[in-house]
Amino acid sequence: MSETITLARPSNLKPSLIFEEFFGLGQEASVSPFLIPDSRRWAANLTLKASIFAAGLLVLSFTLSFFPLTAPISFLFLILVYFLAGIPALIESIEDLASFDINIDILMTLAAFSSVLIGSSMEGALLLVLFALSGSIEDSVTARAKGSINSLHKLSPTKASVIDESGNLIDRSVKDISIGTIILVRAGEVVPLDGEVIAGISSVNLVHLTGESLPVMKKTGDEVAAGALNTEGSLTLKVIRTSADSTLSRIIQLVTQAQEARPQLQRWFDKFSRAYALTIIGLSAFFALTFSYFLGLPFLGFEGSVYRAVAFLIAASPCALIIALPIAYLSAVSACARQGILLKGGVVLDALAQCKTIAFDKTGTLTTGQLTCAEVKEIGKATLSEPEKDVVAVAYALERNAVHPIARAVTDYAKAKNVESKEVQDFKSIPGYGIEATIEWKGKQAYVFMGHPDYIKDKLTNQENELLQTEVEALQQEGSLIAVLLIDKKLFLFAFQDTLRPQLSDTFDKLRALGKWKLLMLTGDHAASAQRIAELLGLDEYYANLRPENKLDHVTRLSQTEGLVMVGDGINDAPALARATAGICMGKVGSGTAIDAADVVLLHDNLEKLDWLMLKAVQTQAIVKQNLFIAIGAIIIASVPALAGLVPLWLAVVMHEGGTVLVGLNALRLLK
Amino acid sequence: MGSDHFKGKSAVEHVAEAQARGIIAAAEIHGTEIPGSIAAGTDGARETVIVLLLLNLLAMNMGWSYGVTLSIFAIFAFGWLIWKTGRSAWLGWSRLERLHRILEEERWEIEHNRGQEREELKALYAAKGFEGKLLEDVMDVLMADGDRLLKVMIEEELGLTLEVHEHPLQQALGAALGVFIAAILCITGYLAALNIGLFAAAFITILMSSFISAKAQRNELISAIVWNLAIAFISIGMAYFLLDFFHVLGWV
Repeated sequence: MSETITLARPSNLKPSLIFEEFFGLGQEASVSPFLIPDSRRWAANLTLKASIFAAGLLVLSFTLSFFPLTAPISFLFLILVYFLAGIPALIESIEDLASFDINIDILMTLAAFSSVLIGSSMEGALLLVLFALSGSIEDSVTARAKGSINSLHKLSPTKASVIDESGNLIDRSVKDISIGTIILVRAGEVVPLDGEVIAGISSVNLVHLTGESLPVMKKTGDEVAAGALNTEGSLTLKVIRTSADSTLSRIIQLVTQAQEARPQLQRWFDKFSRAYALTIIGLSAFFALTFSYFLGLPFLGFEGSVYRAVAFLIAASPCALIIALPIAYLSAVSACARQGILLKGGVVLDALAQCKTIAFDKTGTLTTGQLTCAEVKEIGKATLSEPEKDVVAVAYALERNAVHPIARAVTDYAKAKNVESKEVQDFKSIPGYGIEATIEWKGKQAYVFMGHPDYIKDKLTNQENELLQTEVEALQQEGSLIAVLLIDKKLFLFAFQDTLRPQLSDTFDKLRALGKWKLLMLTGDHAASAQRIAELLGLDEYYANLRPENKLDHVTRLSQTEGLVMVGDGINDAPALARATAGICMGKVGSGTAIDAADVVLLHDNLEKLDWLMLKAVQTQAIVKQNLFIAIGAIIIASVPALAGLVPLWLAVVMHEGGTVLVGLNALRLLK
Repeated sequence: MGSDHFKGKSAVEHVAEAQARGIIAAAEIHGTEIPGSIAAGTDGARETVIVLLLLNLLAMNMGWSYGVTLSIFAIFAFGWLIWKTGRSAWLGWSRLERLHRILEEERWEIEHNRGQEREELKALYAAKGFEGKLLEDVMDVLMADGDRLLKVMIEEELGLTLEVHEHPLQQALGAALGVFIAAILCITGYLAALNIGLFAAAFITILMSSFISAKAQRNELISAIVWNLAIAFISIGMAYFLLDFFHVLGWV
């Protein structure tokens, strides 16, 4: 077709998103594209709501069972409890059985439903409700983990504006775009594919990719990563990687792999529970079949072998293990929540307690990502030849209306020095590059320039350029960002540095004083900048100039050898946060993906609470160990006499539940 | 676009409404996922079981004898069979009538409101991503053939699918078979072993009918069977304990 097809600018709304979310979350009804958006909330946390409702009904049923008049209503509610809490467990157990997977779920379901056969339906319902509650909490944690991949997908555009040979713009799916295709990225759009700039200058913000909130200038010849936000002008890019190989896709792959590689503890527990379930079910069947033969017991009835076997099955069901541990974890989790620390599940505390090393990302984590003006220098001079106030006044006049972080730093610096702005004429701004204008200087009008060193280059002699280059490189080695101001042939350098988070020194002193952890930094920044921060905080080690893959390698090695807590905030930290033994993310500045991939979220970026959190984890692990000891003891104390027929079933259940209460009370100590 | 046909709505709003109408027109008896003889049969079987179980509760409460209970079951099942068969056939015809009426309305629109139909079609295809010249070309091709246009409008605008519905009598036969088999099983079960036999027959009927409908609709088998059995159990169980409570209160 030779005619020009006029296409509208791509909409921000992506209809495919609902499908991505739906499939990403495992076809959850809460995001079903077939449901009215308003009615989707009915599906949100449905299992949790049903479990809580069942718990309420069980309390009602238990209360009403004490009065002969309301006994039938008690049973009516009890049936509902079995329906709400028991049927999902029953379906899961039958499905597991169908795939020959014997696990603790089957043991619990079998114990609960067989309790009806020996007249202990209330105890069975209690088991089901406790089991349903812990299961639904686990479900919501799993949903969060799936959400991390989903938020990454949300970030990546699904189509790009391709410039064809005739110069027309055509929207194409990123999946259909091959290497070498020319695409246009307008201001405000997210870069859809990795590309090399062939025309245009603009600033791109990599905050979602690297946590780096400072815009980076991109000009012809520079590489731009998919997922970067184009903040100012238009960029024409030549695609250098397909969507499957783009930076963003690689990060998605890394996060997926890291999440899949994580649940070591879970695998251990599954293995243990399978062995435990098989043993108890096997023993119960063995006792039911052989007791009548060996001990001369009848087969059925209250003195029968089946009754004793079922009593053993119920007493040995790991109720205390299942409920007592969550109470310990929940107490610790709520104590953390009061401190503004969100933990995704109690096992995170175990993971934290195992670790011997704490690694930190730099920008956005140890530093705020906000720039402060560190110094103003004049090129080729030891001291300023003009009063600093006058130089800053010119910079202030140029930058006061801009929103760029460097502009904000200049404005803050000028205000701190009580500098007044000047009147500006013929103002011109080149996005991501620099600003020029006419300003009054020493009683006459002067044309001034401020911006990136490359922006000023054309206006200088070779000798001046060499001098500028040397000074800029020296400052960059120290980890500073530079802006150059040219006034009437005089060159001034403004050096900016990232601000260290307040109160961190105290926290690091406390962590060092406890002597339990090695502290190190993993950053993609320059070595000089990393060294400055490492020295300020007294870190044991630091690794600089790391790409996400390198960071992940370090994290994997440290996690496997000594257990690692990783603290970060950007998308580039997400794989590391997911792969680390425990990942901690900043809640305010952190990217959605990093927050999803992490195990702990510091809601108010309150990194100064880190020492408190680590101590809480150690304390929780101690109490969990005590609880495990008591819970296993309770199972043995309850199940062996029940099997021997020394105690009736109700007493076995009371002893069994007594153990649960004891560990519950022990766990509540963690609330402090 | 204030025309009579659109009733003050935009073409897109009109199309959305038309599609909703299409879906409602295609929908069938509440409680069946896919209309047709299999759905009518399996649903009829499950309903018959529940009705007979509830009737059994009544028999227990009234103290009916074995013979009386059996007779009541047989009489009730016969009446229920007629009702379910007739109702299934009527619902099928009713749906067919609605579908035919919508087809006729659409044909009339195509013949008399070609301009507006083109706009509707254009809105539909614009929503699919067609734009500019390409969109106009597509419109020209589709508008050129009346029969093809009608098919496109029925499928795209109204969201209906042609050649998927069974004849109402075929559907009714499915319902009749479902009710008949369930009733025979339950009555035979009661005849053989009273309540135990009835419960066993009820269990088997619900299990089998849930299996067949889940298989036909390609739903999860275990989940469909257990949920259906659980729903039957909870409905009978709660009715039983409510009756017991009324007994304690002396109301029955």
